[in-house]
Amino acid sequence: MKLKRGKMLVDPPASASSDIAFILIIFFLVCAAVQPETGLSQVLPKTEEKKEQRDQSKNIEVSITPTSIVLNGSPLQLPEFTRRINAALQKKTRDADRIVVVKSAPNTPYPVWIRVSQVIEQAGGILTLELESNKTINVD
Amino acid sequence: MNIRRKKLTASIPAFAMGDIGFLLLIFFVILARAQDDSHIQWQPAELPDVEMAAAPLATVAIDSGFKVYLDGKETTADELAGALTAVLGDTPSGERNVFLKVHKEAKASHFEPVIAAISEAGGDLIHILEPEENSTNR
Repeated sequence: MKLKRGKMLVDPPASASSDIAFILIIFFLVCAAVQPETGLSQVLPKTEEKKEQRDQSKNIEVSITPTSIVLNGSPLQLPEFTRRINAALQKKTRDADRIVVVKSAPNTPYPVWIRVSQVIEQAGGILTLELESNKTINVD
Repeated sequence: MNIRRKKLTASIPAFAMGDIGFLLLIFFVILARAQDDSHIQWQPAELPDVEMAAAPLATVAIDSGFKVYLDGKETTADELAGALTAVLGDTPSGERNVFLKVHKEAKASHFEPVIAAISEAGGDLIHILEPEENSTNR
């Protein structure tokens, strides 16, 4: 003979479901907001409005345009530029000699600019921006 | 005749303490992120060899419409240096982190004056970028 066992139903308290939903919403909100960010750091010394003190003849000059990178007058593509800037900066030991003056065309896209500045920094150069308003910014 | 009143004790359920603590924790986490700029529409540029960025004191953004924002509030490149100087205050060098979020289609004429302003305020600039897919898959 089979005995039917009575079903034991345990309902979760309905009043708690709104609390659970609320906590889940906040949990996912915080998870989405606290995503770690990645980037490239550049230490900027405070801009000083000094007259030109650097010896321009010794500085490496880089001009960035949307299509090419001009290093001391010769237009190059990024791989060749990387090789040449590494070679040029390898010989320099003093900080003053490692200044690289970067001048960008107004329509230079940000991805191109940031890539070139990364290459200069990785080569040990001290990035210096030359703006059209004649302001000079040093970027370590 | 004195009638003794029954003492009524109201105890806080101990099992709720965990929930209360958790909610308070989340409340303070959200409060700490008061500089919300999630409404700004921008797409980061990609670059190989990017590093994890430290917590910022201020965030400057250039959105897809090439408008400049400081901590989520619209500003101009001219006003940025002054506003940033006020935000950074007397914080020592090395802790004056400023995130720069530039939309990938921005041009030098948009982002260079902003970099100049951050430099003028003495901020430690961190470009916010995404790791290039090819470099992360290696």
